[in-house]
Amino acid sequence: MKKKVLLMGASGSGKTSMRSMIFSNNPASLTSRLGATIDVEQNHVRFLGDLILNLWDCGGQDAFMDSYLSTQRSVIFSHVGVMIYVFDVESREMEKDLEYYRDCLEGLSQFSKNANVFLLVHKVDLVREAERNTVVERKVEELEKASGETPVKVFSTSIYDESLYKAWSNIVNTLIPNARNLSKHLRIFAEACNATEVILFERTTFLVIATSSHADSSDAFPSDPVALHALDPKRYERTSELIKAFKQSCSRLREEFRSLEMELAEFTAVLDEMTKNTYVLVVVHDPVIETAAIRMNICMARKKFEELQGDSLVSEK
Amino acid sequence: MSSSPQNYSAVANSHTNGTIRRTKILLLGTRRSGKTSLFQVLFNGFPLKQAFYLEPTMRVAKHLVDTVIPLEIWDCPGNITVDTLGASLADFSTIVFVIDIRDLYQQPVSKLVEFIVAACQVNPDINFEVFVHKAERLQEDDKLENFRQIHERVMDRLIDESPEFEQFPLNFHLTSIYDHSLREAFSLVLHKLIESLPYLEDLLNVFCANTASPKAFLFDTSSKIHVATDTSPVDQATHNLCCDYLSMLNSFGPLYRSNAINDPRTSRDSPATTPPPTATPLSPASGSVSASAGVPLASPPKPPFFPCAATSLSPSHPGTTLTYHLVTPHLALLALLPTTVYEMRRGLVEWNVVWFREGVREIWEVEKERSAGEVV
Ligand SMILES: Nc1nc2c(ncn2[C@@H]2O[C@H](COP(=O)(O)OP(=O)(O)OP(=O)(O)O)[C@@H](O)[C@H]2O)c(=O)[nH]1
Ligand SMILES: Nc1nc2c(ncn2[C@@H]2O[C@H](COP(=O)(O)OP(=O)(O)O)[C@@H](O)[C@H]2O)c(=O)[nH]1
Ligand SMILES: [Mg+2]
Repeated sequence: MKKKVLLMGASGSGKTSMRSMIFSNNPASLTSRLGATIDVEQNHVRFLGDLILNLWDCGGQDAFMDSYLSTQRSVIFSHVGVMIYVFDVESREMEKDLEYYRDCLEGLSQFSKNANVFLLVHKVDLVREAERNTVVERKVEELEKASGETPVKVFSTSIYDESLYKAWSNIVNTLIPNARNLSKHLRIFAEACNATEVILFERTTFLVIATSSHADSSDAFPSDPVALHALDPKRYERTSELIKAFKQSCSRLREEFRSLEMELAEFTAVLDEMTKNTYVLVVVHDPVIETAAIRMNICMARKKFEELQGDSLVSEK
Repeated sequence: MSSSPQNYSAVANSHTNGTIRRTKILLLGTRRSGKTSLFQVLFNGFPLKQAFYLEPTMRVAKHLVDTVIPLEIWDCPGNITVDTLGASLADFSTIVFVIDIRDLYQQPVSKLVEFIVAACQVNPDINFEVFVHKAERLQEDDKLENFRQIHERVMDRLIDESPEFEQFPLNFHLTSIYDHSLREAFSLVLHKLIESLPYLEDLLNVFCANTASPKAFLFDTSSKIHVATDTSPVDQATHNLCCDYLSMLNSFGPLYRSNAINDPRTSRDSPATTPPPTATPLSPASGSVSASAGVPLASPPKPPFFPCAATSLSPSHPGTTLTYHLVTPHLALLALLPTTVYEMRRGLVEWNVVWFREGVREIWEVEKERSAGEVV
């Protein structure tokens, strides 16, 4: 199953940088060496089992934009699963950016009515911390207004912190057909392990695919263990960021990261392969449970999750 | 690791400060050379981006730092002179002089020479360390060229002062806050000040021999400076990986910390709350290995809890496991182990960690007593 993802936005807004960080494991420091993207760069990323992301990184210079909207129109905007539109938070040409954005929305409504639209207010690290919230709020308002009837989700991002992982995990989640089903089984697994939380990551990107927690645990499910422990709300994206950074450190030694177990003062956890394409993090707060027991449980759950992944992807075809 | 165990001036020069005698380190350098950022990044976990917004230092800031030995680090304004320092250079064990790598002019060199000449008159045993800083700003070739030039100029100027300085032991390090070179350089600075270093090294050597480990470090967990390592040479890439591993573990803790009132973990013993087992103080003359034998471990019902972690790497054969074991509230043993040893002979590894921990604890107690002791 292929899903087409359009990456759009003005030249220099940061599209190629984020793509190379998420999918090619490049460090942020190397992004300054990237040249402008010429026309469209297509990439196929095998994401989960049969799910293949077909990324279209669309160079943002005016000449290219004009051609996407005219001669290439049907090629660009057909069969789109998701469009991600990137806005540089410091853009000096917001009027023009918005005009192109509205034109792209129109193209989508013509050829891919059901596409999801994500807007990224990018490079927020450039805004002073004290002003960041107000600046982002104002942008969000502006972008929602420009989107008219089209439902959009807006995230503020920077390649220098975990916000990038939060946005992309959300984006990718809309593309995984069996995400809900996976969550249900993760919940069962968490109970079996007596775990506070179980998190499933995609193997190469370390984006979060599913968690054992209920989406809004605090209200609807007061007995949810995560709600009871009141864990850090940024833990998912921070974990992605931390593991990705450590994977980079390992590769500098020509080693590959395999697994991690921790018995820290605060919690016990194991991060290990779950299936061919996924890693699982099991977090336990019960001090009696040891990492060996968690490992054993992961071992026994592997087959089930392999099946689950295979099954539902095939059936959705 | 080069060590100079005969250099005990550190102890002689420490001053009483309340009840603890601290080893003093002076941070010098011209304006905007990077002294404050360097200190903040090492000891306050300062986010790098904030280094841009640092205000110039106007007065001497004295920072107390507790790693394996208690330190007092003086961060000085750029325009400080021997006379305005407000203390005798005899009080300091080490002077770290920071020079921006692109700064090839006379000013920093003159200043450094001025301090060296003044310091040698009152304190011939003082350690001088030059950090050629912001090294990441230059390409590899320029970096080495500037480094060499700075080195040469300093030595030329010193010999102009007096031919006696020809043999002056001056150590140069290339550093940057954007990689781990700063940590490595500061480790070397610190090693010269730790009197018990040979005993720590012995303990690490024994650990490596017993567990087939190619490399082991004793790290200060928060600053990520290694306090000691076994005597095999340090490979920079391995050192960097260990620093990154520590950073990751440091970040993971608070991320999944339970904020619940009734967290079962809060009742669990942590090393901070565990009274240290009674240990006979290790006299510097006795071998650390034999001295650690025969000390009873903390007795059952409630064994103390020491955080630990392990990460396995591939594809190296037979695979490497990087282990982390906290040994005191602030020091952790990081070791590279063959995965086969870690997986098949876990008991052996853990047994060695226990002995290692006891050994470090004894040395630590001695260091504590020493710094609390009467003025020499
Ligand atoms: N590129 C680079 N810049 C650095 C490094 N260390 C510090 N800087 C920058 O150098 C500038 C000055 O650093 P400070 O730490 O304020 O310098 P200082 O020596 O304390 O200056 P005074 O306030 O005069 O004492 C800041 O903008 C830092 O970001 C480094 O390793 N690399
Ligand atoms: N400060 C900052 N710079 C960024 C960020 N993301 C990308 N950049 C920089 O913006 C420049 C242009 O990025 P690039 O990905 O080539 O833009 P593209 O033309 O949209 O593909 C590069 O120099 C990146 O390093 C960010 O989050 N913060
Ligand atoms: Mg590009």
